[in-house]
Amino acid sequence: MQNKYGLKTVLGKIIRGSGAMTFLMLVLIIGAVVSALFPPLVLEKIVNCLTAGQGVSLLMAIEYFALIAVSGVMESGQNVMITVFGQKVTHGLRSEMCDKLRRLPAAYYTANEAGKITSRFVNDVDTIDTLFTDGIIGMFADACKIVSILAVIFWLSRGLGILLLIVTPLLFLMTRAFQKKMLDAQMENRVAVAKVNNHVPETIQNIRMIHTLFRQKYMERRYDEYIQESYRATDKTNLYDSVYSPIIIFTGSCVTAVMMICAAMGGGMREFFGVSVGTAVAMISYVSRVFDPLESIGMEIQSIQSAVAGVKRMNEFLREEERPEAGKKAEDGKEDAGGQNPEDGIRFSDVTFRYGTDQPVFEHLDFTVAKGEHVTFVGRTGAGKSTVFRLLLGLYVPEAGNISVFGTKALEIPDGSKRKLFGYVEQKFSPVNGSVAEQISLYDPEITGVQIQKAAELTGLHEVITALPKGYDTQIADATFSQGQYQLLSIARAVAAQPQILLLDEITADLDSDTEKRVLEALERAGAGRTVLSISHRLQEYTGNQRLITIGQQVVQ
Amino acid sequence: MKREITRVEHPDHILSYFRLETGPLAIVTVSGIIYNVGMTAGPYFEGQLAQCLYDIMKGRRTLQDMLMLAGTYLAVIFLVQLMRCLKRFYVRRFANDTSRNMRHMLYNSLVNMSRAQLEQENLGSIMTKAVGDVDACVEGMRKFTTEVFDTGVVLVAYLVMLFGYDYRLAFMSCGFTLAAYFIAGRLKNVVTSYSAAYRKSAGLLNQATMDRVSNEITYRVYGCETQRDEAYEIRLKDYEKRAVRANLWESTMQPLYNIISMCGVVLIIFFGARNVAGQGWTSWNIAAFTTFMSCFAKMALKSSKAAKLFNAVQKAKVSWKRIRPLMKEYVEKSTDSEIDFKAQEALSVSHLQVGKPDGTQIFSDVSFCAEPGQIIGITGPVACGKSTLGKVLIGEIPYEGSIMVGDRELSSLSEYERSRLVSYMGHQPELMSDTIEENIRLGEEKETDGFLKAVCMEEDLQQMPQKVKTHVGNGGVRLSGGQQARVALARTLYHEGQILVLDDPFSAVDRKTEAEIFRNLKKIAEGKTVLLISHRLWLFPQTDRVLFMENGHTLYAPHEEMLKKSDDYAQLYRMQMAGGTEDAE
Repeated sequence: MQNKYGLKTVLGKIIRGSGAMTFLMLVLIIGAVVSALFPPLVLEKIVNCLTAGQGVSLLMAIEYFALIAVSGVMESGQNVMITVFGQKVTHGLRSEMCDKLRRLPAAYYTANEAGKITSRFVNDVDTIDTLFTDGIIGMFADACKIVSILAVIFWLSRGLGILLLIVTPLLFLMTRAFQKKMLDAQMENRVAVAKVNNHVPETIQNIRMIHTLFRQKYMERRYDEYIQESYRATDKTNLYDSVYSPIIIFTGSCVTAVMMICAAMGGGMREFFGVSVGTAVAMISYVSRVFDPLESIGMEIQSIQSAVAGVKRMNEFLREEERPEAGKKAEDGKEDAGGQNPEDGIRFSDVTFRYGTDQPVFEHLDFTVAKGEHVTFVGRTGAGKSTVFRLLLGLYVPEAGNISVFGTKALEIPDGSKRKLFGYVEQKFSPVNGSVAEQISLYDPEITGVQIQKAAELTGLHEVITALPKGYDTQIADATFSQGQYQLLSIARAVAAQPQILLLDEITADLDSDTEKRVLEALERAGAGRTVLSISHRLQEYTGNQRLITIGQQVVQ
Repeated sequence: MKREITRVEHPDHILSYFRLETGPLAIVTVSGIIYNVGMTAGPYFEGQLAQCLYDIMKGRRTLQDMLMLAGTYLAVIFLVQLMRCLKRFYVRRFANDTSRNMRHMLYNSLVNMSRAQLEQENLGSIMTKAVGDVDACVEGMRKFTTEVFDTGVVLVAYLVMLFGYDYRLAFMSCGFTLAAYFIAGRLKNVVTSYSAAYRKSAGLLNQATMDRVSNEITYRVYGCETQRDEAYEIRLKDYEKRAVRANLWESTMQPLYNIISMCGVVLIIFFGARNVAGQGWTSWNIAAFTTFMSCFAKMALKSSKAAKLFNAVQKAKVSWKRIRPLMKEYVEKSTDSEIDFKAQEALSVSHLQVGKPDGTQIFSDVSFCAEPGQIIGITGPVACGKSTLGKVLIGEIPYEGSIMVGDRELSSLSEYERSRLVSYMGHQPELMSDTIEENIRLGEEKETDGFLKAVCMEEDLQQMPQKVKTHVGNGGVRLSGGQQARVALARTLYHEGQILVLDDPFSAVDRKTEAEIFRNLKKIAEGKTVLLISHRLWLFPQTDRVLFMENGHTLYAPHEEMLKKSDDYAQLYRMQMAGGTEDAE
């Protein structure tokens, strides 16, 4: 399914939603631009009064100050509005992206690492934020400043105006050339920095190999190469960076010098460059004001460039194909979780499935599990045992065949009623942010404290949890659980909502025998009165007298 | 000029880094002082230019004077800007050098940490963060150095000039600047508390994002997405609020401070005009008036930015505090040894005892002896300690009892000697994101072909367009699990020690390949002592002896004998062989 929300739609929605604010922001920007024009004009008047030998009234001094104050207040206001606006936009974007998460198919999450997706939320959206705060709006304001100052200069001193009209585009071109050089060097640096950054976690991951093969020196040498690469690129950027601004300022001085000489030439030239000493003083102060925004426009173009890349990536994300909405049809039907016909059991009929365009994981898979039955799936690694669970949970769509749970198609079970139906114990416990209690409830408001405690008691974790400093309210990051206790927590999470079916994915892997025993006991208690489907690698153990269902052609080793 | 990375002595003192950069910092000091004192030249000459124009209009001076003045003006500005250029570049070079040195030192201490150290207390992620902190710290050091000149020196220069022109007026007008400064200082705590709250909220939001994204499937399976979306929205709202507040205090206050400072301008215009008119405290010409004005405006602007200096130092301090405990003296492990690493060595283990840190025994009284040329199969049920035994041999876990390599006790060997004598391959392939070839060589020059052939990678390599130059991707993702394991095995064989410890090297390859690799292994490891730790037993009949570990006890015998000795071993073996007949088809 193609998504209808591109970035443009989202942005349009946000801007339309805050029309008054957008208007106020524009007013303040224009106000800031215009009010910045006046102080030099008053200064001109003051200097002219002085040269004419007249005194300067206190009123005039206050007038000058007041204009500066107004301009400062306007600038503050402009900053506030841009910040507020930029934050509104990033908030809106993140909300929209969060909403998208739910609509993405499960396959997206296996194909894309969580870190990468998170980086779209954090880094890419931040480039948009900079685009608003320093980029487009700032550039607009700066362009306004340049144009308006040029206009005033033209009005006061046509000669200087023409001079600036020649110099400004040249400087702008130079700025762009510098920007490009710097961007190239920065890209080089970024590539090197990526290597530098990658080398650290890689070292941590491979530390055993490094030590057993005594490769410390080798690793250091590589690291030094990478930092050296980054060093050279940075040095290049630094050179451009340090040369640029002095050139701009010196050019400004040249313009001032030329203007003064021309004005000093007298006659037509002086006429052309404006007449009075006051004008000259005002002009000097205007000249420096033209060059400041010119410099920032150069910087802003760069942040626009990096934002463009961010926008592209975000747009890709927002346009990512979505999963079918079948599961949403019966969203309000939370009550009929469990399907219409429990006696039908769980049924896979003639199911074929493949991930993407790979080889099919299995073809024509058929089996039925009766309500209340306990079965174990066996098969070699990669045979698709876990895939059976994923299909059952409606995370993936089979290529052919039917999967039904108590008479309802797996894909048509709404997300909201899954928890009443399935308790899924994953291979590895995935802790969520929050307290121990929230690990069990997963923030489900329908699960009460009593239920949480019951689930913990069932798995034998209640004592362990109450022994923690804050009991159930201890943050998971502060609680130290053993591997086996995490498995127990996982089981508690699965049974908290009293589901009818328990799915156990190889949960006794990697446990010592003592813990394993406790986990198995907990599972036995949890499985009582439920339909239980489990996956086991080690068929020789613990299957009791349960029925085995073999997935894939081959029997395990 | 090629500049080398330098080793830092006393890397836990920030001054060490400044000291190392004496050269660049000297240039920065000289150019910085000239530039910043020269900053006053701008306003001074602009005043002189205006005065000159006035004089010309009055007919007191000529165009010649203006040309001279403009020429001097440009020359001075050029010099000043040249100094600025030097100062900017060398300050940045100083930062660049320092960042490089810090990283170099930090990495050295990282690469010499043991796995246990890294796993403990999450040191791994602390190190990763520390590397990020280097940037923040160096940025702070750079800003501090810059601001010392750009704010400190320049403020003094401006003040000297202002007081030189008219000390009474300077005194009065600078009072406002002081007031602005005072208010800014007073509000500094408020500003930092708001920005701290903002940063905290940003951290929480990042956490929430990571949580929302990485647990999406869990939330989906449990039907909890809607609640999580709502919780995320609350985070977003909080972040928006705090971001706006923090920015409000940080970026909008500056123009306001500037306004307060600029109050002084009223006095300057009023009293300055009287000076020019000859009724004031001092007698001024137009030049003095404009110079004073523009000097004051520049000073006001500078001082409103002075808060930045404090912020930069503050930030650098925070990150330095985090890095500092990780900064250790440079470690270079000794590679001196009198051992002949080419000599064949037997391995004899007697009364080996290993316990967990909490005191419980993993196994006790393990004894066995392996001669050069033997392959010893080691097995047992899950959690019997067979992998632990492997880790003991590479010095990762301390032991009691004795492990003799030839006639030397393992624990008495240096890290270098141990690594040369004992080669190890663990569960994780631990590949680097580089080519297959480089993953095996790791900086050595020897040919890799034979080793790749031994692990049956030839056919796989034929499929890859770039052959041994194929990049394996991050952590080896571009290879299949079996290929990763085989490359890792080839690497272990390549860096030959006389004793090979292979922990489950065949878990990800099929039986046919396993059998072939095993055959090659026998050839390649001729004369070496091989310990093959595995839970798959079907190759065990081909080993010289079997060490069976169960419930902390061990049996050591050839395979056939072991079948008779241990019922558990026999049962395990038969069960696997029963499955194997079908598998072999």
